[in-house]
Amino acid sequence: MRKFGAIAVAIFCLSSFAARAVSGDQLFDLLRKKMLTVKDYTAEVKMKINVSYMRIPTLAGTLYFKSPDKMKLERHGGLSIMLKKNINLTVSNMIPTGSVTVLDMGNVTIDGQNLRVLKIIPEDDQGQIILAKIWVDENSMLVVRTETTTRNDGTIKMALRYGKYISYALPDKVTIDVDVKDFKLPKGVTMDYNEVRDETPKKETKNRKGTIQLNYISYQINTGIDDKVFSKK
Amino acid sequence: MIQLLRIELYKIFKRPRTYISFAIVTAISFIIQLAMISDGKSFIAFALQGVSEQFDIHGNVLNGYLIAYIILQSLLMQIPLLIALVAGDSLAGEAGMGTLRLLLSKPVSRMQLVLVKFMGSFIYTLLLIIWLAIIALFLSLLLFGQGDMINLKSDAFILLLKDDIMWRYAAAFAFAMLAMTTIASMSILLSAFADNSIGPIMTTMGIVVVLTILSNLELPLFSLVKPYLFTTHMIGWKGFFDDPVPYAAIGRSALVLVAYTLIFLTATILYFNRKDIKS
Repeated sequence: MRKFGAIAVAIFCLSSFAARAVSGDQLFDLLRKKMLTVKDYTAEVKMKINVSYMRIPTLAGTLYFKSPDKMKLERHGGLSIMLKKNINLTVSNMIPTGSVTVLDMGNVTIDGQNLRVLKIIPEDDQGQIILAKIWVDENSMLVVRTETTTRNDGTIKMALRYGKYISYALPDKVTIDVDVKDFKLPKGVTMDYNEVRDETPKKETKNRKGTIQLNYISYQINTGIDDKVFSKK
Repeated sequence: MIQLLRIELYKIFKRPRTYISFAIVTAISFIIQLAMISDGKSFIAFALQGVSEQFDIHGNVLNGYLIAYIILQSLLMQIPLLIALVAGDSLAGEAGMGTLRLLLSKPVSRMQLVLVKFMGSFIYTLLLIIWLAIIALFLSLLLFGQGDMINLKSDAFILLLKDDIMWRYAAAFAFAMLAMTTIASMSILLSAFADNSIGPIMTTMGIVVVLTILSNLELPLFSLVKPYLFTTHMIGWKGFFDDPVPYAAIGRSALVLVAYTLIFLTATILYFNRKDIKS
C-alpha cells in the first residue's frame, strides 16, 4: 500500500512538472522575444478616458508607437490626452526591461481561462517599474493582464483582449486602471454656474480610480516611423 | 410705434456715449487676446497644473474657442454696466434734458413710450452682444485658430470637441442676450424714477455688483436667497459649455430672467403711467 502511495505521489509530481515544462524564466523570455518582433506601429484608435473629474468624449486618433518607449496620440487638429510620459500604454512598457528575476506564481483560472502568473522584479532598482505581475495565456503565448507597480505613478492594471493582430501579440482592446489624484480649483476662479453645480451629484474626491480604454481599429506594423513624429508638438 | 422706435434708435446711436460700450468691449477683448499671445502658455500651464501632473495634453490648447470663453468670463461684470449706460439714460435722460413732457404731448401713450425705450435698449443690447461675438469669438478664432476646447470647473475638467462648440456659443450668446435684457429692463425701471441719468446708471451698477458678490459667496447664510437673485441665473450661458448640458437648469434660469424682465417692465409701465412729469 505504501508503494502505491509513493508511486502516486511520484506520478503527480512528474505530471505537474511536465505540465509546466517551460519555466517562468523561459516563458518570460519567449514573451519578450515575441513582443520585440514589433518594432513600431501606427494604429487608428478610439480612446475613452473614464476619470471621475474628467468629462471627455471618445477621442479618435492615430497612435504612433516605436520600440522601446516612444508613443504619441495624434488627433488631427484636436487635443490629445495621454497618461504622463513615464508610463506608456503598451504591454512592453508595463514589463521591466533588462535583467529581471522571474517568480513563477503558478496557474489561476480567470473567466474560464487558465492563466500562468509570473512576478517580475527588475534588478535595476532605479527604474520606473518596481514590480510587475503578468497573467499569461500559455496556449497562445499572450499576456492578457498586467499589474505594474511604479515608482511615481502608483499601480497600473492593464487588461488586454486580442483579435485580428494576435500573431503580433498586439491587442484589439486595452483597458487600463490608474490611480487618479484629486482635482480642485477655487470656485472664485472658475465662477461655476451655481444651478449646474447643485445638480451635479457630489462624489468623494480623494483616492479615485480611473480607467482608460483603448480600442485599436487597425494597425500598420513595422513600417518604420521617423523619430520626428514623436517630437512634434 | 415703428416711427417712434426709429427716432429712439436715432437718438441712441447719435450719442457718442453709446459707442463707449463698443470701444470698452473691443479694448478688453484686445487686451486679453494680446496677453494670451504673449503669455498664454504659462497661463494655461498654471490653470492645467492639476491635470498635467498625470496627463500630457498636446495640441492647440490655447485656441480661439478657449480665448473667447476667457473673454466672456472676464466681461461677466462689465457688460451689464455697459447696458446700463444706455438703458439707464432712456427715460431719465429725457427728463434731465426737459424733453419728456414735450415727447408726451405727442399722440403717444406712456406705455408705448416705455415699450419703445425698452425695444431701443434691447436693440442696442443685441448689437453689443453681436459685436462681442465678432470681437471675442471670431477674431480669436482668426488669431488663435480652432481646436478642442477645455473648460475647467472647480471640480471638473471638460473637453469639448471642436465640431461640437459653435452651437454652444450661439446658444450662450442668445442666453447672454436674455440676461442683458433683464439688466436693461431693470435699468429702465430705475430710469423712470430719476430725473437725471447718472442715478439709474450708478444704481444699476451697484445692484449688479452687490448681487453678483452675493451670488458667488459660498456662505450658507446666502444660499436661501441665491436661487431668487437674477445675478445667479445670468451666468446660465456657462451651462452650454458643460457636458452633459444641464438643459433643465438653464431652462429654469431662463424662466427666472424672463420673469424678472416682465416684472421690471410692468413695474416701469405702472409707475410711469402715474408719474407726475414736471420736465
